[in-house]
Amino acid sequence: MTELSTNHFLFLSAALFVIGLMGVLVRRNLLIMFMCVELMMNAVNLSLVAFARETDTMFGEGFALFTIAVAAAEAAVGLAIFLALSRRAHTVDADEFHALYD
Amino acid sequence: MDQPIWLTFLVAFIFMNVLLIGMAYMTWYERKVLAAMQDRVGPNRTGPKGLLQPIADGIKLLGKEDLIPANADKVVFYFAPLVVFVVAITRVAVIPFGNITISIFGQTINLWITDLNVGALFLLAFGSLGVYGIILGGYASANRYSLLGGLRSAAQVVSYEIILGLSLVGIFLLSSSLSIRTIMEQQTRDLIFALGPLTLTLPNWFILSQPLAFVIFFLAAVAETNRAPFDLPEAETELVSGFHTEYSAFRFSFYFLGEYINMIIVSLFAAVLFLGGTDGPGADRFWGIGILWLLFKVIVFLFFYIWLRGTLPRFRYDQLMGIAWKVLLPLVLVNVLITALIRLIGNGQLRF
Amino acid sequence: MAWNLLFFYLLGGISLLAAIGMVVAKNPVHSAIFLVLTLFNTAGIFVMLGAEFLAAAQVIVYAGAVLVLMLFFLMLIDPQNLPERGGGHPVQRIIGPLLGVILLLEVAAAIANRAVSGTTGNATPENIAFVGGSTQAFGNLIFTQYLFTFEVVSLVLLIGVVGAIVLALPERLGERLSTISLGHPRGTDAALPEGTGAAVPVTRADRQATAALEATREVILVRDPDAYTEVKSR
Repeated sequence: MTELSTNHFLFLSAALFVIGLMGVLVRRNLLIMFMCVELMMNAVNLSLVAFARETDTMFGEGFALFTIAVAAAEAAVGLAIFLALSRRAHTVDADEFHALYD
Repeated sequence: MDQPIWLTFLVAFIFMNVLLIGMAYMTWYERKVLAAMQDRVGPNRTGPKGLLQPIADGIKLLGKEDLIPANADKVVFYFAPLVVFVVAITRVAVIPFGNITISIFGQTINLWITDLNVGALFLLAFGSLGVYGIILGGYASANRYSLLGGLRSAAQVVSYEIILGLSLVGIFLLSSSLSIRTIMEQQTRDLIFALGPLTLTLPNWFILSQPLAFVIFFLAAVAETNRAPFDLPEAETELVSGFHTEYSAFRFSFYFLGEYINMIIVSLFAAVLFLGGTDGPGADRFWGIGILWLLFKVIVFLFFYIWLRGTLPRFRYDQLMGIAWKVLLPLVLVNVLITALIRLIGNGQLRF
Repeated sequence: MAWNLLFFYLLGGISLLAAIGMVVAKNPVHSAIFLVLTLFNTAGIFVMLGAEFLAAAQVIVYAGAVLVLMLFFLMLIDPQNLPERGGGHPVQRIIGPLLGVILLLEVAAAIANRAVSGTTGNATPENIAFVGGSTQAFGNLIFTQYLFTFEVVSLVLLIGVVGAIVLALPERLGERLSTISLGHPRGTDAALPEGTGAAVPVTRADRQATAALEATREVILVRDPDAYTEVKSR
């Protein structure tokens, strides 16, 4: 692969996505898990734009813009939920929240 | 318009050095103007009229001891000032110092470094990145005052950035471009009004078609660069200089450089977007006159900065946020709405 | 090697390393810094792909606003609440990365063997140059074909703002609003001893006096602070 192709971008996107996924699975701090989710969204954006470039359409870019907007809304609501949680339970450790499980 | 890459690097090098020298003399200018406003003399010992004062200050700052607090987050503490400085100086890359290609020594040289398709957004984006240096510096200092200063700065910059961006939307609508060079080019045309016998020729500067946006832009720019009367992050009386309390020597000087370069960049930004850039009498004859006009506009804009600092007391924090969200945001939205309506009517897409 | 390949490896390499750093960093603030680095480099890759507007939006929205919000939150929260307690189930810590590697291999195989669909749209470089650049083409798409989606997304943002405010408000009005944590590990005074009351020279009488003082002091939530700060003549 000496020529820059769509596959390069797709591999990078896949790698970023998997790193984010591992972070969500392994880390227990809600905030870091949340950042990993953001990273996964970013990886998906990357592959959307790469595909848009490959097929000579703009749809992937439009989709990526909407993803960014929704991620911003998600971040605001998510952080507010974490703030409420940390006030109530005095922790942001994901394993501490098992009230529905018990 | 294409030029060899080494020439672009050369132009970028010259621009950055001009910016740094301009920054140094900005401090001299500020001290002189403030002194005149307070009926003092100002720096007058080093060199004629104190003109060597910035150099003396620089040497003094570099010679000081570099202190690091014991509890500090060392790595973050090291690179936080660099973020502010690097981000500030990168912003010059999209600002054009003229619209034409000149030829010196047989080489054709562009008077801009790069003409990005989204140049205005680039400037806004890098302006928002500068806040990381401040919030991380405040966090890493292991000092409550610094932490508070960093937090204040984060909230302030995020709020005022919205307003800064929205105040430019009117210009983007009128010029239908995000490229700063295109926007500047559109302002060189003259508008001719015929009112009966007398004809009035006005330059097509966007300050004339977007006066409200210009005022809001100015206020937001002052807040965004953390200057008085919006300098809450570094309020001496409450926070002992806020986020840079623990910084000394050349790390402090990076914050200082970043702040002043940001002021110059914002003034250049205003001059290019609102005040016609290099447009002015005689500017189409020789490119040097155009650059002088740009310089003049920047100096006038900077004078307003200093004027505000010299005359207004600092706002209270809730007033600062109140102004942003309750006054400026509705105003700027109304401005966008009206501009869009006028644009639609002008296009003939909306009829009554 | 071509220049664009070099730039791709540079940007992609930094973003991958920063992503790994984000996952392994102990301190959430360091994680956030690494995430900013990743997002910034991804914006650079967007520019390589010709999506300048998206790159600018990414830097302004993600790196400029969302991550600043996150750092803000990190400093608002009580630092004693921050660290991970259990560190997860041990099985989870082994299975997680294993599943990740398997997924990566699967996806990599799929990418390597995929059939290239070829060009289907008309957003060719010539057409994009004809409308004036990728930003103009992007605007055309957003405000014609995706107009309804655009409006819906703006509604989502509005609901997000309202929801965030409702959730972050204290449960009872008059309860002390969460202030910036002065007990932050980075904000503690080095001179003070660690731990609660270990070597603090405070007598019991002092504590009682402080408690009495605290009881009489209450936080007032007012709509207009000016009404309380103005000096009124009698």
